[in-house]
Amino acid sequence: MTASAPARRREILVAYTLLAPALLLVLGVLAYPVAWEAWISLTNFGSRAESRSFVGIANYRAMLADAFFWRALATTFVYFLVATAAKLTLGVALALLLARPCRGRALVFLAVFLPWAYPGGVTVVAWYWMLNPPLITSYSVTLSTLKHALDGMLGTGAYAFASVALFNIWRGASFTAVFLLAGLNAIPTELFDYARLETRSVWQRFRHVTLPLLRPFMALAVFLSLTTAFADLANVWMLTGGRVVFPVVGTYAYWLGIRNGQFAEAAAWSLSLVPLLLLALIGLFRWFDPPREEPA
Amino acid sequence: MSRRRFGVWVHGALLVLVAVYSLFPIYFITVQSLKTPEEDVFGSPLYVVDPTFENYTELFAGAHARVRGFVIVPTVPFILWLANSGLVLGATVVVTLTTGVLAAYALARLRPPGWIWWRRALFATYVVPHTILFIPLYQVIIALGLDDSHGALVLIYSTMALPFCVWILSAYYRHLPREIEESALVEGATPARAFLRVVLPMSRNVLVAAGLFTLGTAANDFILASIFLLDPSKQTVAAGLGVMDVSLEELLAVAGVNLAAIPIVLLCAAFARTYVHGLTAAMVEGA
Repeated sequence: MTASAPARRREILVAYTLLAPALLLVLGVLAYPVAWEAWISLTNFGSRAESRSFVGIANYRAMLADAFFWRALATTFVYFLVATAAKLTLGVALALLLARPCRGRALVFLAVFLPWAYPGGVTVVAWYWMLNPPLITSYSVTLSTLKHALDGMLGTGAYAFASVALFNIWRGASFTAVFLLAGLNAIPTELFDYARLETRSVWQRFRHVTLPLLRPFMALAVFLSLTTAFADLANVWMLTGGRVVFPVVGTYAYWLGIRNGQFAEAAAWSLSLVPLLLLALIGLFRWFDPPREEPA
Repeated sequence: MSRRRFGVWVHGALLVLVAVYSLFPIYFITVQSLKTPEEDVFGSPLYVVDPTFENYTELFAGAHARVRGFVIVPTVPFILWLANSGLVLGATVVVTLTTGVLAAYALARLRPPGWIWWRRALFATYVVPHTILFIPLYQVIIALGLDDSHGALVLIYSTMALPFCVWILSAYYRHLPREIEESALVEGATPARAFLRVVLPMSRNVLVAAGLFTLGTAANDFILASIFLLDPSKQTVAAGLGVMDVSLEELLAVAGVNLAAIPIVLLCAAFARTYVHGLTAAMVEGA
């Protein structure tokens, strides 16, 4: 369609008008908070500081010099890596399982959908009661034995950490599975039919056909799970009343800000993940949204 | 033949396993919420012999709530909270879908210069963790005069769900053939009318997917709710019952959220298939 120049100009105007509400909403609500965090991280703002003054990159320098930061960063990495790998593996497995038609599939699909759809308030408490029961229950002793065994093997906090990861995996794998199932459905069936003729084993078919075709959807799923991995941590942190402190960058930032009132340090800590998230974004857009120019 | 049968059995067994794994935590906590204090201590964690609905009925007792043992059960305006939750979630879905559809249409159909980057920029905001931004977020909310109002939550939840919604909606609109609208335009419809009558009904599945995603995202939150809604008469279920320590060892909260979850679960059950169809529609051709 070749539109005349004035018509096109009008179209662009309309486009921006239609875009405006969404941009205003997202950027309007988020731009200030993000900018505020960035600015505060360069000051000494905190509940104990007498006056707010500009300190440059001192907070960042202190953070980078802190051995605890590097440990927290390593833990964060491990958490993201383990949780993402588990969510992806489970998600692919569940999606493939559900993609095959059989009786009762609709019900199982619904069951798989529920961990994500069920309000987090209940499921966080559910996992907490399962793994860290209050003292009064009949199974408390068994689980605390397990807890001490695990903590003894891997260090204090290992059990608490594992329980958060399990919760996040349970919830995230549900979303990933449904998302990848939709992705599987989007792949033309002829490709699978053809693959059945060309490959010898199920495993070969999976490795050389299904996996490459699913890859862009997996990239998007991983990305989406990164953000929920953090939100789930914060949820658990909040629910445990701040008692369970994980040496993870996000929650430690929270702890610094809320418990200690060190807002500037907290801002620096929480912004330290930005470069990593940006890298993830660039990777994602490469995989999922290559900037090809389409015939308009 | 027998190998095939075996395969069917394995598949079936795996499906059962998956269902159990998915539902177990929800089942587990529901069992706990039905127990009497005696059974809590001496019973089995996996089932309940003598169920009591005390935790659930207590929610509706209002000012007449009894004192149970030594525990003073907090009186909760549960029905009011339910209504508030419904209001907030409903408004969030409406706001997100309206702004999302308009933006997606503009990005994918009208393609203003740099639309790829606008689309990416919108999606990139998904990584912003709202939960640690709440000090400056509170400043924004106060500046907007939305302090202690449902509007605050609607606004924040919408920004949380919008990036993904715009992404899938625009992915769908992007490969919808132009001819679809053009035939309507030829018949004399205005572009707005062509959109409302032709394009929008076609994207029904994607709209459902976006709406359900929004609902799930908003219903999962309770941190923001308990931070931004302090007035008990305005609180949602999540805000009222999610008050930190209380919810952990107080099964009343579990009962409350469990009850509040029923409509959400029903909605999901009704639309789960459409949700997948919608996502698929957005993903065809690699989005």
